[in-house]
Amino acid sequence: MTGSREALPDVDGPGLTLGDRAAIALTEYREGNHQALGGLVREATPLLWHTVRAQGVEPDAAEDVVQSTWVALVRHAESIAEPKAVLKWLLVTAKRAAWEAVRKHRDDEKRRTELPDDSPEHPMALPSKDPLPDAEVLRDERDRLLWMSLQKLPGRCQELLRLVSLADRPDYRYISAAIGMPMGSIGSTRGRCLAKLRTILDEQGDFSWT
Amino acid sequence: MDLTPEPNKDEGAMGDLSFDPKGRLDAEDGLLLTRLAHLVEAVDPVPSDLVERSLFAITLAGLEADLMEAVYLDTPLAGVRGAAAAARADDTAPAEAKTITFTHDSLTVMISLSPSAGGRVRIDGWAAPAAGLDVELHRPGADVVTAASDEDGRFAFDSVERGRASLVVRRTDGGGGAVSTPVIEL
Repeated sequence: MTGSREALPDVDGPGLTLGDRAAIALTEYREGNHQALGGLVREATPLLWHTVRAQGVEPDAAEDVVQSTWVALVRHAESIAEPKAVLKWLLVTAKRAAWEAVRKHRDDEKRRTELPDDSPEHPMALPSKDPLPDAEVLRDERDRLLWMSLQKLPGRCQELLRLVSLADRPDYRYISAAIGMPMGSIGSTRGRCLAKLRTILDEQGDFSWT
Repeated sequence: MDLTPEPNKDEGAMGDLSFDPKGRLDAEDGLLLTRLAHLVEAVDPVPSDLVERSLFAITLAGLEADLMEAVYLDTPLAGVRGAAAAARADDTAPAEAKTITFTHDSLTVMISLSPSAGGRVRIDGWAAPAAGLDVELHRPGADVVTAASDEDGRFAFDSVERGRASLVVRRTDGGGGAVSTPVIEL
């Protein structure tokens, strides 16, 4: 793994993103600093949690999926080919484990209820509905408007924007790739999702933002 | 957070026309995403102990034990509850026993958590198929405690301090490799 260090961003440089910090943490871990992952776990767990939840995994199972994703990182620390892409690796690993959890959960439920499976679609295409925000949770009228506007977007746009909002913006390429957006159209896809959201917000007419 | 959009200067009233789809994020996009991050966290907050459980799970990763999966079912009527839900319910209803099931390939381990003296927890476990098993209880900052199962696959830890814990199960004949439960809250 010597040499990979040079390909990493300058630690002292400005504008380190979560993806950069993840790469540095993995490299330091490989070099024997076993405390190096602590900060990354604290920082990236919310992103993994919401990635898993977006696949329709119930909260209890989602906790275990996130936990097992971190365990998988440690187990594969030496074999991850591109430390620079470790954030994407984490997101893809979490997402696949989430799909598996959804599939198993459905199988279990099916066995238990013995009902015919009348939804032949692939489970991946059927994430559960987003939890509805409690009015108590979103007291601010602007927050409610923003959340309702988000719900009007296509599902993939919602997922992309929610996850991008939790990372540093330059990391959108990892997040987009991890959730299956074609690499060539990432910039425009991100733009379309944000543009649609802003259009919907603008259509709220005379709503006061101040 | 101020979400005041900047007036659309020259481009006319339509915000979407002023937005270059391939362009960089502007300041308003940034504000919007920042606000969105707050909403995402407010609507579906990350469980408070998830980071600590993950950190402890990482320290156990060196044990080379395959992770078991907790079995979660929708209805609590089956007497099987999620580990996380069981842990949360424990705070408010300590008198009630909780049962959690873990599976890995052909091995299934059920544990029942019940209150013990001094605010501690008793763990009764049962593994199937029945075999001689060594069950290790791992807790952060504590020595590993081992219990041997009887021939029916039953084992117990009488009095365990509350908090994060993971069980590692090994066959006494050395076959099959070790498996571990996810880190749970006792």
